[in-house]
Amino acid sequence: MARENIYQEEEFPSPLMQLWYNFKKNPMVMLAFGSYLALAILAIFSPILTPFSSSQSHLEYILLPPAWNDDGNVSFLLGTDKLGRDILSMLMHGASFTFGLSFIIVIISAVIGVLIGSLSALTSGFKSSFLNHFLDVILSIPSLLLAIVIVAILGIGLSNTVLAIIIVLIPQFIHITKNEVKKEFSKDYVLASKLDGASPLRLLRYSIFPNIIERVITQATLAQSAAILDIAALGFLGLGAPSEIPEWGAMLSNGVDLFYIAPWTVYFPGLAILFTVIATNLVGEGLRHALKQRKVY
Amino acid sequence: MSFDSTRCFLTFLCINLLMIGCSNENVATLSTKSIIYCSEGSPEGFNPQIVISSTTIDATSNQLYNSLITHKGEDNELSPAIAKSWHITRDGTKITFYLRQDIDFHNTSYFTPTRKLNADDVLFSFNRILDSEHEYHDVSGGSYPFFERINFNDLVEDIEKLNEYTVRFTLSRPDSSFLANLATDFAVILSKEYADNLSATYSQQQIDLLPIGTGPFKYKEYRAGAFIRYTAHENYWQKDINIEHLIFDITPSNTGRLTKLLAKECDVVSYPIAHNKIVERSDLVLNEITSFNLAYLGFNTTKAPFNNKLVRKAISYAINKEAIIDAIYFGKADIANSIIPPASWAYDENIPEQEYSISKAINTLNEAGYPDGFTMNLWAMPVERAFNPDALTMAKLIAGDLQKIGINVNIIYDYEWDIFLKLITEGQHHAALLGWTADHPDPDNFFTPLLGCSSTSQGYIGTFWCNDEVDDLIKQSLQTSNIRSRKEYYSDVLKIAEDELPLIPIAHSKRFQGRSKNISGQLLKPFGGITFEKVKKN
Amino acid sequence: MLIFTLRRLNLFIFTLIVLTALSFSLSFLFPGDALINLTGQVNATPEQRLLLIEEYKFNSNIFQQYWAYLSHLFDGDLGVSIASHLPISSEIMNLLPATIELSVVALIIAMVVGIPLGFIAAVNHEKFADNTILFVSMLGYSIPIFWLGLLAILIFSIELGWLPSAGRLSLVYEIEPITGIQFFDILMSNSEYKWQAFQDATLHIIMPACVVAMAPMTTFIRLARTSMMEVLESSYIKAAKAKGLTFWQIIHRHAIRNALVNVIRYVGLRFANLVTLAMVTEVIFSWPGIGRWLIESIFQRDYTAIQGGLLALSSFIFIVHILSDFIYAALNPLAREHNHGA
Repeated sequence: MARENIYQEEEFPSPLMQLWYNFKKNPMVMLAFGSYLALAILAIFSPILTPFSSSQSHLEYILLPPAWNDDGNVSFLLGTDKLGRDILSMLMHGASFTFGLSFIIVIISAVIGVLIGSLSALTSGFKSSFLNHFLDVILSIPSLLLAIVIVAILGIGLSNTVLAIIIVLIPQFIHITKNEVKKEFSKDYVLASKLDGASPLRLLRYSIFPNIIERVITQATLAQSAAILDIAALGFLGLGAPSEIPEWGAMLSNGVDLFYIAPWTVYFPGLAILFTVIATNLVGEGLRHALKQRKVY
Repeated sequence: MSFDSTRCFLTFLCINLLMIGCSNENVATLSTKSIIYCSEGSPEGFNPQIVISSTTIDATSNQLYNSLITHKGEDNELSPAIAKSWHITRDGTKITFYLRQDIDFHNTSYFTPTRKLNADDVLFSFNRILDSEHEYHDVSGGSYPFFERINFNDLVEDIEKLNEYTVRFTLSRPDSSFLANLATDFAVILSKEYADNLSATYSQQQIDLLPIGTGPFKYKEYRAGAFIRYTAHENYWQKDINIEHLIFDITPSNTGRLTKLLAKECDVVSYPIAHNKIVERSDLVLNEITSFNLAYLGFNTTKAPFNNKLVRKAISYAINKEAIIDAIYFGKADIANSIIPPASWAYDENIPEQEYSISKAINTLNEAGYPDGFTMNLWAMPVERAFNPDALTMAKLIAGDLQKIGINVNIIYDYEWDIFLKLITEGQHHAALLGWTADHPDPDNFFTPLLGCSSTSQGYIGTFWCNDEVDDLIKQSLQTSNIRSRKEYYSDVLKIAEDELPLIPIAHSKRFQGRSKNISGQLLKPFGGITFEKVKKN
Repeated sequence: MLIFTLRRLNLFIFTLIVLTALSFSLSFLFPGDALINLTGQVNATPEQRLLLIEEYKFNSNIFQQYWAYLSHLFDGDLGVSIASHLPISSEIMNLLPATIELSVVALIIAMVVGIPLGFIAAVNHEKFADNTILFVSMLGYSIPIFWLGLLAILIFSIELGWLPSAGRLSLVYEIEPITGIQFFDILMSNSEYKWQAFQDATLHIIMPACVVAMAPMTTFIRLARTSMMEVLESSYIKAAKAKGLTFWQIIHRHAIRNALVNVIRYVGLRFANLVTLAMVTEVIFSWPGIGRWLIESIFQRDYTAIQGGLLALSSFIFIVHILSDFIYAALNPLAREHNHGA
């Protein structure tokens, strides 16, 4: 005997879907999200997508202006640099370094930071107070300065830059995780499972993490935009990626010598960084806004 | 609270704007008396005797000092300076200089001269170099690279003071380039009285740090990496100087220097980039001068496989010099066929241009026994010079060329200049991008240092290449003053060098300088450092 | 207030210990010999070296070494620079004021421009002005500072020729450094060209300070906006409305003051960020400050300089941090009661 479904079933979207609904309301944010995805695709597949290899020198086309210029050439859409390398290909390839690496950096430092943060939230007393003070001190040193010092210890180079920025970003994840975990711990549902006899680790794993993960992701987008700017800044200062690698900051610093002869070698990498950071920030902003909206209902 | 601070700030701004409005007249007075020259680096010291770097020569020689004689005019004829005249004996071994009697040394906060320049000062300046027992010989390291290169100590047997204002040099053999060498920026005259004062206070090393000379400007202040401040020498013997303050603004960044010129923060800049940008501005001028120089790729001929001349030849075939001229010099240089630039009388137009041919390169490399190529290191100068403004990029281009014939190149660049040079003299390299700037117009200044055995064995040149036949030809050429026979000797040398290729000549470039239109007077010289003596600001 | 002061003092001492310990450990972390890294004495003869080992207690345990390091710090001895052989402390005394000058001017610009803009945005919440200000602030927040600096030089120094591109003061002027803060030095000097020098110094600082101010300014916009919106929601504003005050009277008399207090709280936190930006900006504008010097020291592998510079810079940041806490506490009595720092 089949029961007829006469009531229109009320659908309760999962929290994640709610978040998505709120998120996609804003067209600006969606545009940014699209760009973000495009950058991600570019970062992964750039070796296949680029018109030329980013290290290939076309000696007959040195310092070619962009294609819309009178002296430009359509096959080099954004012109070439002083070694005759195609700027467009370098920028596309650079997405793997500046954008792709920042993504990896943020994931690694978030994982480490969340682990330490949640463990430290479980401690109390002197240890906790010491950690707090210690974090305060570390957070009071500007991130770029700290990264510069770490590069000074490890030596100049891209992999050391990555390591340095990972280390620099960890404290803020510890900080936010700790605060969030402490906040959640005082809530009733946690108390309920505590009464059920759940161990602190189980509490963390099943009750608290699902509730703070979105916060962490929001923090991660902020951290990513900072990571992009830091990678680029270190590259620009000559402490990060070496000049052969088409990392955007390093490209820009190569271009500075040619600023007056070939300004496009400075304009485009800068625009690429700006565009990427804006997209990342807008995504983060949209996420935060959507989280806030969801809380309202 | 915010309103208060806002108000404060706005008032502050207004006051400033008012001041900008009213005091332009005074600004003009101070800045018309001063010239700011943006230089490319810090000097190593303030005595040209002990250095060879062109940065130091630019900053010191013609500003602080004078030589006995000097090169003047378009033909770079020898003309009087501290010596008002000179006389050479018939056999060419005794040269007598008659000094001017009206030359004052600088009067500064750290030294007050009590007498004018005389023969003692000349003797002191040269004995410091010649006599290894001299009190001042080992101050600042005891190395006089320019004088070592020209074998000064062998050549000069004796210097005597004939009277207060007459000095005689006795040479061990006639040397047609001797006077030219004395007229370079390295052979400056120091003050003996100052040295005696320093000895009295046991502060000898100050002689090369706090300079006293006879030149148009005197030292006031120096901050390493930042600036040098000179003021006019009020008792300068030649004529009145037109500017009161001369400031060297040390700006190592290429773009930084050009920016300062375009933004009018510098009156003159050394080695400008982006020449078009200067030419298109009506208030700026681009000066150029044919400088006698050479950028080359030198092989360490003591190391395999570069001891094989076929390998050197193959590399020479593989290098696309035209691309280098376009990319590095933006077309503003000549491809070098030999070590001698076309402007010199020793230039031989019969020496053919080295061919660029990948297929010939591959064949030659096969012939040499390296069909699969090899891996080499290429050292690129970490500093910029007129002859090579960007050695790193040049090395990258060459690496790209050599890749095509199967040679892998590791570029080495990350050293400070002095360490880089030291490692080169130790022969750590396979090949190096270096260069040479002549100090005077005599072509010997190319041949002896670049190809002569005494010079190459010191290692600065980077080749360690010594050929007895070439060495003999060069020496014979110095014994005669007949230009035609000298040219024949040099032609033979060039032919051997072209066949043996210890170094591949790459380019002869010009030296450039950017300046504001209101700066007049000749600054650049074809040889040696710049001079601000005759510069005016309108 | 006493408890508040004690708590801050405690934090301050703790921080100094951590910072000096970090700085001390750097000499072991850097490549090469720890004693050389610590003292900068590269060319020490064996006898001199023995003396140094004695002086820095390198023959005894690590705590005594640390203590010896601290006592040298208290004497103002940070070693000598490996590259220039000048004492680090004197170099820092020359350079740090330049950085302070740049940062303070930038902070003032950021506050003077940012806070009013934030208030305007809050008052016009969700209207055109709000959206425009938010968009511009997003742009300012995302722009890479070194790129902004280059563009600024291109536009204002080269195309328009209004502002100088490098340095603190034209080299034409000779000003004796007394305080290190150039504006004070110029005013104290007796040069006949004093006022021109002052003017010239002002022109020199405008562009770098504005570039540094860009990102903090956007933060102040956000902070001021949020804070103002919170204040406007509060009941005393409603009470003021009920009194019949006009909108602008409310804003002027009540809202701005209260919103400002909340913004001031973050000034100290922002300052660290601002100093970092100043470091990069110093490189672009050849500003003779400590940031440029630190970066050059890395290239020259001058570890003594990096160590000393880092210590000086981070202590400075922390002192500002604590000072701003005090100012906030003085302005807002509520803050003193709170349990801070934990």
